[in-house]
Amino acid sequence: MSARRDLRQQQELIGAIQPALHVSQNWNYAVDGALYKAYMHPPHDVGGQFDAPGVYEEKEEEQWELNTYVTCEVLGWRGVWNSEERRRRADNDLGYSLYLGIPYYGRWILAAARMLVDKNHISLAELIEKVAEVKSRHAKK
Amino acid sequence: MSHTHNPGDGGAGERHAAPMVEEITDFEVLEIAVRELAIEHGLFTAEDHRRFTEWAESVGPAAGSRLVAKAWIDPAFKARVMEDAVKACKEIGIDWAEPTGFGTPSDYMNLRVLEDTPTLHHVIVCTLCSCYPRPLLGMSPEWYRTTNYRRRLVRWPREVLAEFGLVLPPEVEIRVEDSNQKCRFMVLPVRPEGTENWTEKRLAEIVTRDCMIGVALPRPGRTADVHPVQKAGRPVQR
Ligand SMILES: [Fe+2]
Repeated sequence: MSARRDLRQQQELIGAIQPALHVSQNWNYAVDGALYKAYMHPPHDVGGQFDAPGVYEEKEEEQWELNTYVTCEVLGWRGVWNSEERRRRADNDLGYSLYLGIPYYGRWILAAARMLVDKNHISLAELIEKVAEVKSRHAKK
Repeated sequence: MSHTHNPGDGGAGERHAAPMVEEITDFEVLEIAVRELAIEHGLFTAEDHRRFTEWAESVGPAAGSRLVAKAWIDPAFKARVMEDAVKACKEIGIDWAEPTGFGTPSDYMNLRVLEDTPTLHHVIVCTLCSCYPRPLLGMSPEWYRTTNYRRRLVRWPREVLAEFGLVLPPEVEIRVEDSNQKCRFMVLPVRPEGTENWTEKRLAEIVTRDCMIGVALPRPGRTADVHPVQKAGRPVQR
């Protein structure tokens, strides 16, 4: 069935489009129709995509996961961002590597950190310093 | 210490449990850093965070179970649920405006209850992320958030439901509702046979979370949803 073969080819292309980091990219006009379509594929809008049957699991929540949920919500409560920004972009539209590579709430906390920097609530230097300070505070003595 | 990493693995059942770690993880560090910076910069207060956490820990599927049981017993209440579910929730003690006065920032105050009939079955999903009626059902289960469930339910609902152990006869139509940011759904299943003269409390016991998502049907004797559980490295302290 050609529809199935076309889909398979499209999926293989999507899986293979990690650009070569050592190649100059800005003049890559050799992006043909199929490649363009693969680049435009939204990783997170998954309804209808193929997958094999799996096991439906529960997961005990990590403390940092609950804290992350609450931090993101409270930032919304106090008007620092809204759920459109979060749902449509910040938490989900991250490209395949981040979307499938890091945990659900990892995407959330990363989105919050990026947003605080993007909106100039904190500077990147401040974030980096804070992360280093938190790490050293919790390092095993 | 071994660290398990499995890039690109978003499928259900193939994930790895959080590794048992003594050191703090990068996500834990980032969570603390963001929270502390936000408080230090006056974006929110520690008290805001505490209050929201208290709310988050207070919600769970028991509220939805009460709503369904009451709707089964009281046709006038059911009519009010179908008319304006958010308003009807107040009658069972659930105020969608909590905890901020305008609801949670991600759960808009818009709930629609999907009424099953003997020939129509509803099931919910969020194909874009994991939208879920938190004020009524609590936090979504892990499997609801997986790409696997979200990918397949909209295209192969009958097969996916069968994997949950719910085999529906072909004459039962299945309707999948894709939840979104502005509208949340919950399933009102058919009251099963063998529950005549049951009290509301007893009825509520068989209305489990999975029945209100639509991946299970209530029946006498079935009072829990059984799934494998992945343990947390540092679980929520209650
Ligand atoms: Fe969602």
